[in-house]
Amino acid sequence: MQDKLNIKGLVDARHGKVKPAIYVDEDVYQLELERVFGRSWLFLAHESQIPKSGDFFTTFMGEDPIIVARQKDGSVAAFLNQCRHRGMKLCHADSGNTRTFTCPYHGWAFGLEGGLTSVPLEEEAYRNNLDKSQWGLIQVTRLTTYKGLIFGNWDESAPSLEEYLGDMAWYLDGFIDRREGGTEVVGGVNKWVINCNWKFAAEQFCSDQYHAPYTHGSAIQVLAPTPENKADGKPLGDGQTQRPAWANGLGGVQFSENGHGSAFFFTEKADANVWVGGEVSNYFRETYPEVEARLGRVRALRLAGHNTIFPTLSWLNGTQTLRVWHPKGPNQIEVWVFCIADRAASDEVKEALKQSHARAFGPAGFLEQDDSENWVEVQKVLRGNKAQQTELCMQMGIGFEERRKDGIPGVTNHTFAETAARGFYQRWVDMMTSETWAEIETKTQEYQEEIVRG
Amino acid sequence: MEKVFVCAVAELLPGEALRVETDPAIAVFNANGVFYALADRCTHGAASMADGYIEEDCTVECPIHSAKFCLKTGRALTQPATIDLAKFDIKVEDGNVYVLAPARRAA
Repeated sequence: MQDKLNIKGLVDARHGKVKPAIYVDEDVYQLELERVFGRSWLFLAHESQIPKSGDFFTTFMGEDPIIVARQKDGSVAAFLNQCRHRGMKLCHADSGNTRTFTCPYHGWAFGLEGGLTSVPLEEEAYRNNLDKSQWGLIQVTRLTTYKGLIFGNWDESAPSLEEYLGDMAWYLDGFIDRREGGTEVVGGVNKWVINCNWKFAAEQFCSDQYHAPYTHGSAIQVLAPTPENKADGKPLGDGQTQRPAWANGLGGVQFSENGHGSAFFFTEKADANVWVGGEVSNYFRETYPEVEARLGRVRALRLAGHNTIFPTLSWLNGTQTLRVWHPKGPNQIEVWVFCIADRAASDEVKEALKQSHARAFGPAGFLEQDDSENWVEVQKVLRGNKAQQTELCMQMGIGFEERRKDGIPGVTNHTFAETAARGFYQRWVDMMTSETWAEIETKTQEYQEEIVRG
Repeated sequence: MEKVFVCAVAELLPGEALRVETDPAIAVFNANGVFYALADRCTHGAASMADGYIEEDCTVECPIHSAKFCLKTGRALTQPATIDLAKFDIKVEDGNVYVLAPARRAA
């Protein structure tokens, strides 16, 4: 197909180069909504948020507002949150339980299953001639639940969620399948706005271990378990390995495939190593044998590290933050953050996880604030005309990609690399420049085979 | 009026309602342990009041357009409804709930 916006000229993943117009251009953004968000598997909700018939949660797929609703038969359905009469946003609540979605504008009402059930003044205004069966809500074409996470996709021809995830499922299982019973969302959803392009946030969680020692230097300094930081004798992370994971010399792995990415360090102890509370540390240590039996040593020990499922679902092990970077134009995102806990954990542990999560990665979290500040400042620089044309370097670890023989799957590299960023942007280019899913998959496959040499 | 069996007392919990297929259909409500019966179809739109929300002030809110009715009298209390719901008498006998309905729906 024609590459009218010269997408291929803006991103050269094979040589690790990117032009920042992709973070600000309105035309690029509109094409993203159509070709990336209109065809990717997008996280909608966690099953634990809508346990009962009539429970609903409202979210977004790209910029399209979505209602996710538990049906009377226990299944889940999702709809465009838009009345079929004059296009009004149908449901204005964040979540709740209902029997009917009634439009606040003229009062058209839709059932849980999306059908138009009631039209005010139907006899007088429509002479009973309105065929209500033709005016149900637009249903999200495909919906799949993976271990409690509900995903939607508008594209009939997209690969199954399992194929889409590929080896990323191995890393995801390490987060949501640690114990019998799976996970649940603890507490509510934290939402806030960051004035940056969605790709900065998604890319960092996909690929960027490199920023941590420097960007989070102040947190590392004040949270170190040294005598001067131990005024109350109970510093965060007490009882854990007493230095950052990257300093232990055991190395680590970065993973990249299908635009997804993940990274972590090897450790010898079941330590979260991200300054969680003492109850949380204890919980991870106590449950280690059960988790090792389910997932094996590498994933059971993996209690830190970053992850992105392309395009906008990210999480961090240990601090248990799961988030979606909802795009709001090229220059803004709304971050939706969920704290994820093993369902089998005690109420005390869940409360401790919630506090630990909020302290590090809530809207005022000591690590969260460092990250968003960077993205906002980059976005400000990109208001400049020259700045939008500067070629940026994305070459870390280029040419050192491999496939490991120890069971850790996918295209991998050292944990300090930009292999996953290059994979993320290559997938982005493949989606932006392809008509069909078959074409996207062929291009991604070719790229992945090409970068792993020998 | 005909005495129509609704359910056993234990089957309709406080805060719940159910629809009885009489002619017209009747909604039977349990509000804090007291049973009430009103016409099931909202006087404003095509909604079943048995799907409505039973509130603390002994009212029921229509599930579609939020009109409120008094459970004791059937009176329409708020817009968009202006016409009252018909009210029916309840009998509780031997642990069962009955409603006195104009006519049982033809089988």
